[in-house]
Amino acid sequence: MKAQVFPSLLIAFLALVPAARAEDLVSGLSQDSIEITSNYAGSTIVVFGAIERPTTSAAKHDIVVIVRGPPSSMTVRKRDHVAGIWINNEQATFYGMPTYYFAASTRPIDEIAGRDLLDRYALGLKRLEPSSVRTQAPAEPFRLALIRRKQENGLYAEIPNGVEFLSETLFRVRVPVPAEVARGEYTAEVYLFEGGNMISAQVTPFYIDQTGLERQLFNFAHEWPFIYGTSAVAMALMLGWLSSLFFRQSL
Amino acid sequence: MEIYLPIAEMSVHWLVILGMGAAVGLLSGMFGVGGGFLLTPILVFYGIPSEVAVATTASHLTASSMSGAISQWRNRAVDFKMAFVMLAGGLVGTFAGVWLFAYLRRAGQVDLVVSAGYVLLLGTVGGLMLNESMRALRAYRLGQPARSSGRSHHSWIHGLPLKVRFRESRLYISVIPPAILGFFVGVLSAIMGVGGGFILVPAMIYLLRMPTNVVMGTSLVQIIFVTASTTILQAIHNYTVDAMLAVFLIAGGVVGAQYGVRFGARLRGEQLRLLLALLVLAVAGRLLFGLVARPDELYSVVTGTP
Repeated sequence: MKAQVFPSLLIAFLALVPAARAEDLVSGLSQDSIEITSNYAGSTIVVFGAIERPTTSAAKHDIVVIVRGPPSSMTVRKRDHVAGIWINNEQATFYGMPTYYFAASTRPIDEIAGRDLLDRYALGLKRLEPSSVRTQAPAEPFRLALIRRKQENGLYAEIPNGVEFLSETLFRVRVPVPAEVARGEYTAEVYLFEGGNMISAQVTPFYIDQTGLERQLFNFAHEWPFIYGTSAVAMALMLGWLSSLFFRQSL
Repeated sequence: MEIYLPIAEMSVHWLVILGMGAAVGLLSGMFGVGGGFLLTPILVFYGIPSEVAVATTASHLTASSMSGAISQWRNRAVDFKMAFVMLAGGLVGTFAGVWLFAYLRRAGQVDLVVSAGYVLLLGTVGGLMLNESMRALRAYRLGQPARSSGRSHHSWIHGLPLKVRFRESRLYISVIPPAILGFFVGVLSAIMGVGGGFILVPAMIYLLRMPTNVVMGTSLVQIIFVTASTTILQAIHNYTVDAMLAVFLIAGGVVGAQYGVRFGARLRGEQLRLLLALLVLAVAGRLLFGLVARPDELYSVVTGTP
């Protein structure tokens, strides 16, 4: 039940944020679940919110929105030129990396707060660290390659000016959810900064799951693999037989 | 309209998949081969993970060889005894192949072994076929009958024990060579997602010296069972059979195959073999290029524990 570890850890961290000021920020999601149906080709979820108290001091407010997918292990392999051909050689396996990560902020994250704070909450793509690594080679190039490849697939993204203000206090963030996302529990985190300090934060979970026929097929394949395989064969045999019947006259 | 593939966990356009099935079906109907050697690489080029491509192609081959075997059976062109002997080897081969496949998957070398295996096999078979069909065409042009190797030819095969009489093939040979041939094709089916017809057919003609009229039907019967076994074993061990993908591939494939048969009937045997040889060599060349050329991206990422 690794999937549950991360969100609960996060909530524990968030308890450290001064509670009295939590009402400074309210946020919500356009939907609390995304269902992957037979014609699912990706979608968008909107994180919206409002800063309750307008700026009193000269310090400007900053907002960082992070969406994280369920963590998983990931193996990164590097190809090398061996005996004239390119083969997978060194590899590194990272545990506990999010399968999806999206960060949007009012300005580049590095300018918003100090390194310690950003590291602690893993704000920003380059601060994504696994819970553990298994490799014989230095891990850092593999970690960077992982982040780069995930960005190319649209599963990791960081948009420095991705927070859209609709008024003085009202904001929204469009979060693209590509078709290849993993199923499971996601979290949308909204952080409010003032003068480099985190003054408020909110976490809202949402779910992405297959529904209908796709869900049933996936479960069927994993829970009853023998019957699933046999059914696939039976279907193939029947289609083959039907086609030979159907085309018999016309040949 | 996009369809979402529940096992590959990606969405594809249904027309593209249907079209791929039809194109491969057309060629397989024309040339009398299963077409797995084309379908697996095409699916991988399209972005389907190679594990899913290999396993799902096996179920596509079950359907297309079933369709073909029924037509051959109506013409009484099947040696069931021979098919049974090859199948005994073939089923053991699929077990060995799926086990080997799971091992390669953990080691991260599936792509390499699949590509290198294809280059070797297709290069050899394509080269032999090209050579043979060129000679046949030249002989035809000169007005000579193509040289057929005599059936009385004695080879080491006839010295082996466990001899059995195969009535439909008019042969009295040991069961060892067909069983080994079946085993080899079973391993190939599991690792590379091919039916193995393009190896079985020449091997049955040139090695076992079976009469050509029963070769096609017998190899199709053997392929039905080997690919069925591969599909079930891949589903159990690797969870990589995508039923949604299979339905669209099969639907396109069976229709394409029927048109392919009609189209192929208009061409002469040597011309067909020459075309097939060029096609096979082209696929081998493309895969070889992929192995040798410097890749744009050196790093690859696999999510989940393999």
